[in-house]
Amino acid sequence: MRIVVLLKAVPVVGNEKLVDGWRVDRSAGLEANGNDEYVLEAALKLVEAHGGEVVTLTMGPHPALEAIRKALAMGAARAVQIVDDALAGSDALATGRVLAAALAHLEYELVLAGADTSDGQGGVVGAAIATRLGLPYLSYAASIEPDPAAGIVRVRRISPTGYDVLEARLPALIAGTQLLGEPRYPSLRGIMQARSKEIATWTLRDLGIDPASVGPAASQTVVQEATPPPQRAGATVVREAPDVAVERIVAFLVSRRLI
Amino acid sequence: MAGAVWAIGEIVEGAPTRLTRELATLARQLGEAAALPVAAVLVGPDAAAAGALLAEHGPDVLAVEVDPGGRPTAAVIAERVAALVRERAPAFLLVGASNDGKDVAGILQGLLDWGVLVNGAGVRWSDRGPQVEMSVFGGRLVTQSTFAADRGIVIVRPSAVTAETAPAAGQVERVVVDPAIELAPVRVVDRVAEASAAVPIEEASVIVAGGRGVGGPEGFAVVRELADALGGVVGATRAVVDAGWIGYAHQIGQTGKSVKPQLYVAAGISGAIQHKVGMQTSGTIVAINRDPDAPIAEFADMMVVGDLFEILPRLTAAVRARRG
Amino acid sequence: MTSRLTQEQLELREAVRELARERIAPRAAEIDQNAVFPRDVVELFARHDVFALIYPTEYGGLGGTLLTNCLMIEEVSQVCATSGLILAVQALGSLPLLLAGSEEQKQRWIPGLASGALLDAFALTEAGAGSDPAGIRTRAVREGDGWRIDGTKRFISQGSEADLIAVFAVTDPEAGRHRDLSCFYVERGMPGFSVARLEHKMGIRGSPTAELVFDGVRVPDANRVGEAGEGFRIAMRTLNRSRPAVAAQAVGIAQGATDAAVAYARQRVQFGKPIGELQMVQAMLADMATRTEAARQLLYEACERIEADAPDAARWAAMCKLFAGDTAMAVTTDAVQVLGGYGYISEYPVERMMRDAKITQLYEGTQQIQRLVIARALIAAQ
Repeated sequence: MRIVVLLKAVPVVGNEKLVDGWRVDRSAGLEANGNDEYVLEAALKLVEAHGGEVVTLTMGPHPALEAIRKALAMGAARAVQIVDDALAGSDALATGRVLAAALAHLEYELVLAGADTSDGQGGVVGAAIATRLGLPYLSYAASIEPDPAAGIVRVRRISPTGYDVLEARLPALIAGTQLLGEPRYPSLRGIMQARSKEIATWTLRDLGIDPASVGPAASQTVVQEATPPPQRAGATVVREAPDVAVERIVAFLVSRRLI
Repeated sequence: MAGAVWAIGEIVEGAPTRLTRELATLARQLGEAAALPVAAVLVGPDAAAAGALLAEHGPDVLAVEVDPGGRPTAAVIAERVAALVRERAPAFLLVGASNDGKDVAGILQGLLDWGVLVNGAGVRWSDRGPQVEMSVFGGRLVTQSTFAADRGIVIVRPSAVTAETAPAAGQVERVVVDPAIELAPVRVVDRVAEASAAVPIEEASVIVAGGRGVGGPEGFAVVRELADALGGVVGATRAVVDAGWIGYAHQIGQTGKSVKPQLYVAAGISGAIQHKVGMQTSGTIVAINRDPDAPIAEFADMMVVGDLFEILPRLTAAVRARRG
Repeated sequence: MTSRLTQEQLELREAVRELARERIAPRAAEIDQNAVFPRDVVELFARHDVFALIYPTEYGGLGGTLLTNCLMIEEVSQVCATSGLILAVQALGSLPLLLAGSEEQKQRWIPGLASGALLDAFALTEAGAGSDPAGIRTRAVREGDGWRIDGTKRFISQGSEADLIAVFAVTDPEAGRHRDLSCFYVERGMPGFSVARLEHKMGIRGSPTAELVFDGVRVPDANRVGEAGEGFRIAMRTLNRSRPAVAAQAVGIAQGATDAAVAYARQRVQFGKPIGELQMVQAMLADMATRTEAARQLLYEACERIEADAPDAARWAAMCKLFAGDTAMAVTTDAVQVLGGYGYISEYPVERMMRDAKITQLYEGTQQIQRLVIARALIAAQ
């Protein structure tokens, strides 16, 4: 099986460096998006079981390399990085277009993406890409079972009441969750081998995309203002013995009309 | 300045979901503020019946009935909505931040090339159209965003508004629409109900959550009892879900769910950033922890220093006593 | 950021740091308290190829340098000195094979050692032969096409867990000093080999220290490493490369203690402010950090010189071990002081680190022996 994993390098949550008020500095300190590591792990396991190779596809600036190298160290065969100065500040719409255009240059039976990213938080890009490419889209995957011989894949999708078993033909795009299983630590052998693996760099020109159609100027969404959230007054600290502490909690909840 | 505001709803077990009712309420509010027409769209085998319930919130309901066979997939819903959008040219679509809702929004973006504003914690009308409030960067900032064009899709979180019935109910219009584009099919082989998964955690007004401090799966008994007494649900941190003490459906935080209850009781939770991002916008936060220096002390309203196994059962008894 | 380290070394270190902090650190107190050899850590190292690092690629290793291996030992020792020692001992026990083994011997044993399927140990020390190998009583006598080994080795790290033990025995009592010893690999399960007892120790308590008895153990000649009579030379060359590993363990312990003391000083409030704002505490923290970094830089320099087969490799090995061992002892003692009463109890890791630090002043040559080696090298060079 040939699997492309969409891998985004994101700022470490809680450690984002902000510039110009609300833009996040992506010039350093990026790591692989959490959900993307789960689907990468799932992809590596699928390849171990069915043969084939995992290729990562990243749209992101130079500092994304660290996350890409880690993916190679974990076992991806090679990586594609879309780097272009024009891409900074792109919205979900542009991101979906660019990744879809890049996927058109790759061969695969499966495309895997994280269910969402910790910075964008939208969870819409995977669906948009699948739609553009005419791929079946299976989301919130807790397990992925392809049958390459039959040309189909089955996914267990988290639902509000349990899970759904979905089936679609290959190739397909699947967005996965934490339930796919813990990502492996890269082995030292993997790290050393990763240094000789190919990281192809593609630009917008390579993809035939007009730079004017991406970036902040083309963004369909505009941040009008950004403010710190209202601060809490600071915690009332209760250190009394349990009986007294519980009386204080109850009084507090009553004062706020919560009970 | 623009066309209609539509709420794109979901039907579960024959009725519109609570989030769908909230979207319909929000659409009506925005329509009133902007003097724009509003409508709600439901797609499903029982869309008209569910539509009658949804219309109580004000908007007219476009009920798109599709072949029986249970709840339609996001692709089936999005195909119909996209065709309706092309036919009737609304300007703004409100979609719920449920799994299905986000899928519908993503597919619509791929079909329509519209912008999407995600994670809306509040939406109000501005002179630039809908202005969407969202919490970003681990809660460090709250942004207000609008669309660059006179159209867009807003993904709205649960409890951004309170669902209210309208003085005058809307009309239900049965609509027949052929999908403009047939998306690659996804077949639903089975829908499996699991009691442990049915946790309406994003809609709960009270959450009692447990972390490592509960010590093990049995430790959740005291958490569950307090949640029951308060009429709430049980939440959990990533660490205890990973440890297998409780199911993923309970997980709050990064790679889990984001919640905004009126009351959040954090028992034995240190308050790591990965958890904080999922619950910090809660109304009132009460933390119970043996470590007075736990990070959660920095964003709780009340920090109770002590053993949760001594405090929770007493608190449960006290709450039950008050409620009689 | 240490400029002398390559990008590859930084990535390898980062990977082992993650393993150490997430998987080993939570076990460290338990490993110390229960004094049980952590087989789970062995499996962790095996699964992530940490053992493979030092071995040549043609035998399933990764061809890493001495410095790279020391970086790994340093990282692991920051959170658990016992676990760091597992790596140091595996390297120590393999060095005679790597330095003097035949092609056939390397093909036979290295793949297993690199994968972690085999653990090894290094048995030079005896009850009456610690700092002075001239006191070795263990004998190996020719018998048929092999050897018969009789004797007792003491203070052998991991001796009870090893599958393969490098044993130094007198083969020619008449040959005179430094020419009488030979090195043999004794395999676990060979008749006559037994573990007589395990020591009760102050520190590195998860690493079993064994007394090994060789009672007429028959060892084929194929298990002899190097020529007969070459044992002393092999042992000394081994120590040139193993002493930096002990220094790495010491630097790791010192760094772990410094970090723990700084973290404590930031959050512990006395007299209305964190104790880290008190100048007497600040002075201790500053000295701890400075000493640790100095020891680290001396270690890295020594590694590079030894790797390059510098003629004074023995002196560099002794200097880095001497300085790092003393640093670890001083820094961990200060860390306990910074934590006050909390430093003395097992709720915090610094008392364990202080107990663990002591061994780095003792094994692989006491600090006094290191000074002898250094001074003799200086005098001889003049």
